[in-house]
Amino acid sequence: MSNETKTLEKPAWDAKRIGDLILNNALIILMVVAVIYIAISNENFLKPTSIINIISQTAAYLPAALGIAGCIVLTGTDLSAGRIVGLTACISASLLQSTTNLANKMWPEIGTLPIWVVIPIAMLIGAVIGSFNGLFVAKFKLHPFIVTLGTQLIVYTLLLLYVQQGNNKGMAISNLDASYTDFVKGSILKVGGVAIPNYVWFAIALTILMWFIWNKTTFGKNMFALGANEEAARVSGVNVFLTTVMVFALAGAMYGFTGFIEGARIGSNTANTGLNYELDAIAACVIGGVSFVGGIGKIRGIVIGVLMLRLIFIGLTMMKVDPNLQYLIKGAIILFACALDMRKYLAKK
Amino acid sequence: MDQPVLLEMRDISKSFPGVKALDNVHLTVRPGTVHALMGENGAGKSTLMKCLFGIYSRDSGTIVLDGKEVNFKNSKEALENGVAMVHQELNQALTRSVMDNLWLGRYPKVGGLMVSERTMAKRTKEIFEELEVNVDPKTIMSTMPVSQRQMVEIAKAVSYDSKIIVFDEPTSSLTETEVEHLFRIINMLRDKGCGIIYISHKMEEILRISDDVTIMRDGTWVATRSAKELTMDEIIKLMVGRELTNRFPPKTNKPGEVILDVQHLSGKYTRLKDASFQLQKGEILGIAGLDGSGRTEVLENLFGAMTKGGGTITLHGKEIKNRSPRESIKNGFALLTEERRATGIFGIRDIKENTVISNLKSYLMGGICLSDKKMREDTDWAIQAMHIKTPSQSTQIRSLSGGNQQKVIIGRWLLTKPEVLLLDEPTRGIDVGAKYEIYELIIDLANQGKGVIMVSSEMPELLGVCDRILVMSGGQLAGEVDAKNTSQEEILTLAAKYV
Amino acid sequence: MKLKKLSALLLAGTMCLSIAACSGGNKETPAPETTAPAESGAPAETGAVSDLNVAVFYYNYSDIYISSVRNNMDTMLGEMGITPDNYDGAGNQNQQTDQISTAIANGANLLIVNIVETSSPDAAQNAVDAAKAAGIPIIFFNREVSDDVVNSYDKCAFVGTDAPEAGHMQGKMIGDFLMANYDTVDLNGDGKISYVMFKGQEGNAEAEFRTQYAVEDADAILTEGGKEALSYYAGADVATKYLVDQNGTWSSAAAVAYMDTILAEYSEANGNMVELVIANNDDMAMGAISSLQTAGYNLGDGECVTIPVFGVDAIDSAKQAIDEGKMTGTVMQDAEGMASTITALVANVQNGGAVMDGIDEAGGYIVDLNDDGTVKVNKIRVPYGLYTAE
Repeated sequence: MSNETKTLEKPAWDAKRIGDLILNNALIILMVVAVIYIAISNENFLKPTSIINIISQTAAYLPAALGIAGCIVLTGTDLSAGRIVGLTACISASLLQSTTNLANKMWPEIGTLPIWVVIPIAMLIGAVIGSFNGLFVAKFKLHPFIVTLGTQLIVYTLLLLYVQQGNNKGMAISNLDASYTDFVKGSILKVGGVAIPNYVWFAIALTILMWFIWNKTTFGKNMFALGANEEAARVSGVNVFLTTVMVFALAGAMYGFTGFIEGARIGSNTANTGLNYELDAIAACVIGGVSFVGGIGKIRGIVIGVLMLRLIFIGLTMMKVDPNLQYLIKGAIILFACALDMRKYLAKK
Repeated sequence: MDQPVLLEMRDISKSFPGVKALDNVHLTVRPGTVHALMGENGAGKSTLMKCLFGIYSRDSGTIVLDGKEVNFKNSKEALENGVAMVHQELNQALTRSVMDNLWLGRYPKVGGLMVSERTMAKRTKEIFEELEVNVDPKTIMSTMPVSQRQMVEIAKAVSYDSKIIVFDEPTSSLTETEVEHLFRIINMLRDKGCGIIYISHKMEEILRISDDVTIMRDGTWVATRSAKELTMDEIIKLMVGRELTNRFPPKTNKPGEVILDVQHLSGKYTRLKDASFQLQKGEILGIAGLDGSGRTEVLENLFGAMTKGGGTITLHGKEIKNRSPRESIKNGFALLTEERRATGIFGIRDIKENTVISNLKSYLMGGICLSDKKMREDTDWAIQAMHIKTPSQSTQIRSLSGGNQQKVIIGRWLLTKPEVLLLDEPTRGIDVGAKYEIYELIIDLANQGKGVIMVSSEMPELLGVCDRILVMSGGQLAGEVDAKNTSQEEILTLAAKYV
Repeated sequence: MKLKKLSALLLAGTMCLSIAACSGGNKETPAPETTAPAESGAPAETGAVSDLNVAVFYYNYSDIYISSVRNNMDTMLGEMGITPDNYDGAGNQNQQTDQISTAIANGANLLIVNIVETSSPDAAQNAVDAAKAAGIPIIFFNREVSDDVVNSYDKCAFVGTDAPEAGHMQGKMIGDFLMANYDTVDLNGDGKISYVMFKGQEGNAEAEFRTQYAVEDADAILTEGGKEALSYYAGADVATKYLVDQNGTWSSAAAVAYMDTILAEYSEANGNMVELVIANNDDMAMGAISSLQTAGYNLGDGECVTIPVFGVDAIDSAKQAIDEGKMTGTVMQDAEGMASTITALVANVQNGGAVMDGIDEAGGYIVDLNDDGTVKVNKIRVPYGLYTAE
């Protein structure tokens, strides 16, 4: 401690310290610069409607990223996220179709289920698939990359078969009941005359919940300890098996919720729904400093990561940048962020 | 010794395939005392402790704690029963905070679900105050120096209200003031009635802090004495206590002219502060020192595996840089690393690949294709010259014995035609018979005119094989002795010079 | 420990079972026992052929329109006593190529291929060569293959739509609609209609044609009628006058993300609202509608403003949206017509005839002809239809 305070007091603002400060906050700086630049070239960017749009899109992609982050904290990953989102989106939508046109309803014999039944179903399905992932990771010591690469394919089969069931015959699941779309896309609050869709509030609630789980519960602390040093956690009596399964199950439940939201938000659900969601979610986590080294990550970082990706997408669209270049910019930012992240952990010899 | 007994380990035996690691060892710890456990590397100290904590299951013997026979299955169970250990190698979640590490596995809770950060911080502070540790409980572990992390580990052991606390080489990474602090803590624990088992190589410390001393050698119990009755010389005699005949091949090499001159070598990020020495052609130069004295760092800095802080290296009168292993290999250096399994062998690859891997360039035909024939020839040469016992070239190297693995790696380096061979613990984990062969090989290399620098923690080995021995202490060169006219006592004294 | 193992087993077992149960639904029913010679040129016999081993390669199961074709095909072929082996290329030409060689090795004697790679003829040519080597007929469908490929083998045919046709029809539909409703659509009354175009995928022939002709043809009708041509919402000087699904999946999710972003910047209040949405397929159109609905448009309640949205495919949900006034029109890809045409070709083979027997204008089929009326190439065009509220 005494050493620490000394080093803090001693050096003035020399070049190295300023350099470090800039590097450690490079992402925020980059983001601010990007926002200023976009705002200058298109003044609409910072108008209320646009800001609400940025927030809304961030909110839509946030829950999946929050879920996947736990897997990354355990030095793993989850490639099945997108397909789970797809499956739960299709299931949610099929259970909440309007009864006005029965011919197009997937399950005409059951009416429109209450929302409060469907949310737990979606989250439960996600959690079950997540536990399946976790079970293989914890029990057979397989790397999550391999496990979820496998489950992702299995879930895709379930998804392809599901959209063939009932009246649907592989069609897009659409024609959703107003209770569903209103619940998700409706607005209970307007700010500056701009409606804020309800799913923004859900995302905020989930973020708070996840922050609580990560920072305030035994489970959260065990998760980080496990990611930082599995052996240390084991000898300290942490139930490694259960913690791993629970991290994946929680992630699955988050994908399930994302699926429920996306079902209504997108409005037209097919076997393609959710494709590549995991890649965006993983990218967001990595940009936000959830490290593949394990045991490191903050909810705040994930929110920033998702926001960053959405800013890139929205900013580039609003600036009318050639779509071909968008991949390049996204890729460059991911590499930049990871290199920055790794820099902190490189042990000097 | 008819005082009350806190912990008694009786007739503990443990065998590994081919080795009797512990042979009827006993250890008796009285409450309110510090009991030092001493012995050379490989004497069986850590094996004994691992039997206590249930990390190894013992073959025979009983352990009695506080009058009750105990049989811990893992360190968690030992902890819960008041037996804690401060490990030499810290096993901590470095990305987490101090208090998270301290209470890992038993977080104080509120409402059955939430972790109470406040209680955690409060109780951490209490313990730290008691131990006079000045660390913010919320500091991230990785940002703290090793000494402070060690304090956290000690605090953790204390926080379990342990009756027995084992300290394994606790001072190896501490400064003098920190050692004083540690001793204050140990004395305080002793006054509270705890039994302390203290493992260390540092004689002065042992004589200062301990009440009883148990000495082990080659897996057997040698003596248990009161510290007051012992002198440093006596301890060394008890620890060494064996004749050094016929364990080494005859020394036939003749050192020639100086080929390598190293001046003021230091490490940028490591504890190596200053080392200057010369190496002659056909000479075997030993480097002795305690764990953490900078022995390995001398080799790795010389080889460019670690970043140099400063110093000059002159080979054949020409200054060279050796900034990276690649460059060093080009300059005619070769390094046999300390951790054979981690950084030496490619376990699942075969003998041939392990042999030729550093020399692939010379098998290229037309710059593209590797000549399988040449590689097989060279491997055959290595197998014969090194007397490697292997069924075939295509045997996975991990299925060979440690000694044969080591010979493969030496063969690998010889193929690059090095002038200077750096050997770090060349006989670690190798059984006695195979050691003799490695010694022969080393002397043979010197006879061929190579310069050999060899680090070892086994002193008899240095005395038996080397021409001169450098002794490192606290990151500095503490002295240089002639292997023929020195003793283990002299080396040990030098090794303690700067600790 | 035991319990954990048991639960692991149970979980795995349940998953397997549920997969088996699900797939049980579309498992083949046993083919009726009928026998007949298969050699070419032999007269058709009653009872038809049973050793016709049909393998169908779909480019991607997740494509809605393709699913629809698949359902129709399975039914129609089933009625002929044929149970096809279906393969999912999952949008991956390498995978499909491997599937084709596997199927041939497995004894398939009729290949029906929905080729994945359309931007170069190599993949299709490879498939033809494989079929030729095995001496079995091959029928391509839906995704266009080049004339040279089809002509390189006499037992080869293509059933598809005329790719530019969808674009032309969509353009005409849009132009006609705008001429009839110009002032209603022109929300800000500036005499120009601003539009957005959603392109499904870069480098896909159909997407390219639709993107190009939908706007060009609509513009032609508008200028002829004395109106201003369509203007791209983001201005005339942008690099590309369309937005593309970056995953290349023609997905509604991409359309939602884009449309949300557009609506954040362009609105009636700002006087620059997007007045027309054109999408290369219905799924993207549905996504755009979902986004518009969030902003209070296209609710189909007869009160709010409805931005005209046009798609292609006529999937069920789009048709319903059109019926409910939430969408304006779509070009109908006739999945049933596609399937029945393919089935007709299959029947020819089954009856021992040539692939193209009776497939001509007289039979009600549109075949690519030369100027002199002779068959140019064995390509049968299934016509598009229009689907609008009227």
